[in-house]
Amino acid sequence: MDKTKGFRIGNLEINLPIVQGGMGVGISLSGLAASVADAGGLGVISSVGLGMLDKYGGKGGSIANIEGLRAEIRKARELTSGVLGVNIMTALNDFGAMLKTAIQEQIDIVFIGAGLITKLPEGVDLNMLTTTKTKFAPIVSSPRAADLIFRYWDKHYHHIPDAIVIEGPLAGGHLGFKRDTLDEPVNTLEEILKGVKSVLSFFEEKYKQIIPVIAGGGVFDGMDIASLLHKGADAVQMGTRFVATEECDASDEFKQSYISSKKEDIVIINSPVGLPGRAVNCQYLEEVRNGERKPINCLWKCLKTCDFHQAPYCIARALTNAQQGNLKEGFAFCGANAYKIDGIVKVKELIESLKQELNTAWEKLQK
Amino acid sequence: MDITAKVKEIIVEELGVDASEVTVEAKLIEDLGADSLDTVELIMKFEEEFDVEIADEEAEKLATVGDIINFLKDK
Repeated sequence: MDKTKGFRIGNLEINLPIVQGGMGVGISLSGLAASVADAGGLGVISSVGLGMLDKYGGKGGSIANIEGLRAEIRKARELTSGVLGVNIMTALNDFGAMLKTAIQEQIDIVFIGAGLITKLPEGVDLNMLTTTKTKFAPIVSSPRAADLIFRYWDKHYHHIPDAIVIEGPLAGGHLGFKRDTLDEPVNTLEEILKGVKSVLSFFEEKYKQIIPVIAGGGVFDGMDIASLLHKGADAVQMGTRFVATEECDASDEFKQSYISSKKEDIVIINSPVGLPGRAVNCQYLEEVRNGERKPINCLWKCLKTCDFHQAPYCIARALTNAQQGNLKEGFAFCGANAYKIDGIVKVKELIESLKQELNTAWEKLQK
Repeated sequence: MDITAKVKEIIVEELGVDASEVTVEAKLIEDLGADSLDTVELIMKFEEEFDVEIADEEAEKLATVGDIINFLKDK
C-alpha cells in the first residue's frame, strides 16, 4: 500500500497519514478536530480541563469536565463522518471518568499520554477494553515506555493497544523527557522510532496484529512527513501547524503568539506538573522565572502530580487564560517549529499543501 | 537464595545502583533514583521472579526496599 494515501488502525481507515495531536487546554476541541477529520486526517479533541473553559462553567471539576467532553464529542460527530479521537492524560485526577465517557460516546480512538497506561483506571475494566469499538493508543517518548506498556498489557490483559504514538523531543507542551536529556543523541524522534518499532515487532508477531506507529514532535511540512514514513512510521502526529488555522479552537491572540514568535522565543519551562514543557516565551513566564508566585485558587486538584501548595502558578488556569486570549495571565504551549509559522490558513488549505509537499518528497525518496 | 538477597540483586540490576546503597531503609524513588518507568519495571520483575501477583494498590505502598522484602515474605 502507498503509505502517503493513509493508514489503518485495525478496522479504522484514515485517508491521510496525518493525526492532529490533541492540544490542551481547549486548543483542539470539536472545531479543529472535526475540520481535520473532514479533510481526511484523524482529528483529536483534547479532554483536559474542559470545565475550566467559560462555556463549561469556568470552574473545572469532574462533572463539568465530563459534560464538556460529551458535548465536544457530539458536536464533532455532527460536523463530520471522519475519524475522531480524544486525547486523555493519565495524570488527570479524573482520568477514569474521561476514558469512560469517551468510550461511552463511542469515539473512534483514545490517545493516552502524560503517564504510562498500565493499570486501568476506576470505572474501566478489561471487558470494556476488549468489547468496545474504541481503539487505544498510548503516547510514549521512549522505546522503554513502549516496551513496559505492551509487556504490562500482554501479561495482565492478554490484549495489546491498537496503535502507538511517539512524541519526540521537539514536541509542544509537556515532554516525556528529563530536561537535561532533551538534546541527547539517543533522544531524536528517528532513534526513538527505530527503538519502538523493534519493541513492537515481538508483540506484532505474538498477537498476529499490525501495530501502526504514529510519530510526532517537530513535524512541520510534507518533507518531514515523507521522511518519517520512509523511516518506518505509518503516520505522523502534528499539533503546532493546526494551531495556525481558522478552525483551531484557541483565541486569535493565542494563534498570533505563534506568528509573532522568533526562534529564540521558543523556550523550555519546568512545569509545576513535574515535567519540562515547551512554550512561547512571554511576560508571564519571565515573571515566573524571576521567582514571582501567582495566586492559586485551586478548587479541585485536577492533576494527580500537582503540588498546588508549592507550585508557583496554576498551569490549568494559565493555559485556559491563554486559550481565551488573556496572555497576560497565561502562556501558550507550542512545538519547536512554531516560530516558522507566518499566517493563519484554513485546515483544508493546510492539508492540501501538506499533501502536495508529501507527494513530491515521497517520489524523490522512492528513487 | 533468600528473599532479601534476591530483592537486592534485582534492584541493583534494574536501577544500576551500588549494592551498598540498597539498604532496607532505602527509598526507591528518593534514595535510589527510580523513576516512574523503573517502578513499574521493578514490580513486574518481582512478580516474575517470585511468581506472585502484586496489585497496583499494593505496589503503590512499597516505598522502601524493606517494604518490598516484607511484602514478598508475607506472600
